[in-house]
Amino acid sequence: MEFAGSMLIQIGIFTILATSFNLIIGYGGLMSIAHPIFFALGAYGSGLLTLATGLPVPVGIVFGAAFAMMASVALALPSLRVSGDYLVIASIGFQLGVLQIIKNSDWSGGPGGLSNIPPLIHAVGRAAIWSYVVLVCIVAFATILAVRWLVSGEYGRAITAMRDDEEAFKGLGHNAVGIKLVLFAIGSGFAGLAGGLYGHYFLFVTPEQFEILYSAAMLTMVVVGGIRTVWGPALGAVLLQFLPQAINFLKLPSSVTGPLQGILFTGLVLLFLFLKPQGLLGRAPGARVIADEDEPTEAAAK
Amino acid sequence: MFDRGILLQVLWTSLATASFQVLLTIAFALVLKVTKIWNFTQPAMMGVAFYAMYVAINWLGAPLPIAILIAFLATAALGLAIERVAFATLRARGSEPITFFIFTLIFAQFVIYVLTLAFTTEPVFMLANMVSPTVLVGDVVVSTWDLHSILIAAALTFALLLLLRFTRAGQYMIAVADNADLAEVYGISRAQSYVLAMLIAALFITAAMYVFGSKLAVYPELTLHMMIFAVVATILGGIDRVFAAAVAALGINVLQQLSVLVMDSRWQPLIVFSILFVAIVFFPRGIRLPARRVADGRTATPALERAPE
Repeated sequence: MEFAGSMLIQIGIFTILATSFNLIIGYGGLMSIAHPIFFALGAYGSGLLTLATGLPVPVGIVFGAAFAMMASVALALPSLRVSGDYLVIASIGFQLGVLQIIKNSDWSGGPGGLSNIPPLIHAVGRAAIWSYVVLVCIVAFATILAVRWLVSGEYGRAITAMRDDEEAFKGLGHNAVGIKLVLFAIGSGFAGLAGGLYGHYFLFVTPEQFEILYSAAMLTMVVVGGIRTVWGPALGAVLLQFLPQAINFLKLPSSVTGPLQGILFTGLVLLFLFLKPQGLLGRAPGARVIADEDEPTEAAAK
Repeated sequence: MFDRGILLQVLWTSLATASFQVLLTIAFALVLKVTKIWNFTQPAMMGVAFYAMYVAINWLGAPLPIAILIAFLATAALGLAIERVAFATLRARGSEPITFFIFTLIFAQFVIYVLTLAFTTEPVFMLANMVSPTVLVGDVVVSTWDLHSILIAAALTFALLLLLRFTRAGQYMIAVADNADLAEVYGISRAQSYVLAMLIAALFITAAMYVFGSKLAVYPELTLHMMIFAVVATILGGIDRVFAAAVAALGINVLQQLSVLVMDSRWQPLIVFSILFVAIVFFPRGIRLPARRVADGRTATPALERAPE
């Protein structure tokens, strides 16, 4: 039961991460892969604050989310000045640079990681785990609803217009950079929130957990579930938690299990990119949908 | 403030260690210039190049030149497959840059996982004997590896310069890079230029991994980190300016090596990331000389940039 509870907590946390990543990369069309670092900033920010000051954990989690949000603006503001391609480069540099600082600093625990993070729920045993499951599921559900609310209605249409034709959007007098900043900040804030929830459940974080290879896992959830769909990333998160377990049951050595899991989820993305680019929950090519990127030319090719 | 001998040594060492970074930067910048794709599959090609050499030498007992040839063929085959199967398909679909980005990044990671499964995360040395004989030139220690790597980088860079300037295939590549649609009107095949760019990149990557692998140990994920340097140098040199990117790679490397004189070496990688940010914010088109400083009367910037808004 503990295992199942832990799995559900991870699914919830990854749902928050994947949904918020979809907001940035899918709905916003912003090519950033630095999402794991905002997850890390939330976990470290919250963990360090609560450890150093003894403040209540919920305050730490909110601080972690706010910290991730501010850091995302610091990344986005300079890189959004220029072409969108630069954002991906800046995001890689930002992710590796911040990880370098975390790894080499004493205050963060260095490469060994940050331990003794205070728990959010102090009780022990089954009740504590299931309380955490409920809490994480509520936050995950709220994240999905928040993203759904943000991308629908007038603001959602503005996001789509900005993504589909930024020059035309700007030509109509709209502020594209403003929308990008909002999407980036909100998406990263949710990642920071997920980081806080993660840190205060597992009580230990290390820099390796937020490496660039971690970005692949998040991209997998979004692409396999369905980029630019509200529920797709959540489905991707569920699949990406369960599929690796199938490999775990094979009882292979850990030196084999890790790469096999990586091959499984990156291979899935590649398959989906070429065979089903709309993902599991996305609409099929040819369906009338603004968001499907490949639709017009594929239809023309036919 | 610093001993002259130490300064000269650091400068020489940085010149030598810059050689593989220059080669990797040229590979990255050339593919970007011709295909307009940020080729993040490069770490996959780097991994295949190194481990093909490693397997040929250590498992098959092949002599070094044969191992290098095998590595080039494997890398070229991978580059060709990436271009003809993946990039061509995505182009035909009219996919957005984000799709190319996801593909290149995920493909690189896929290959890294495959290499990790085959070779584990343990760093491995390509050659049994990594010791390079040295001679003292004045106050500077010069190793055979230093000379080899500088010569390889210089020879390949010069060969590329000649190819782009004086051969039809090279000029076709430049034409496709400048305006692929117009080039096709004149009967130039853009597909062939894309393939040629990938093959040249494969050659440079193989050479870079030979130079790197003959001195230092490699593990699969390292290739991903090595590529960042090439990306930074490409931006700083100015996208579309392959040789300027190579000069930028050299400059960044010298700066990085000199930094050991003033700061802890563990913070060295941060210099690259700092340069990356400065480049993106202040020099998104790279560092360019003012037009009037070009002696032969031509302007330093392409006509497109002077076109009215």
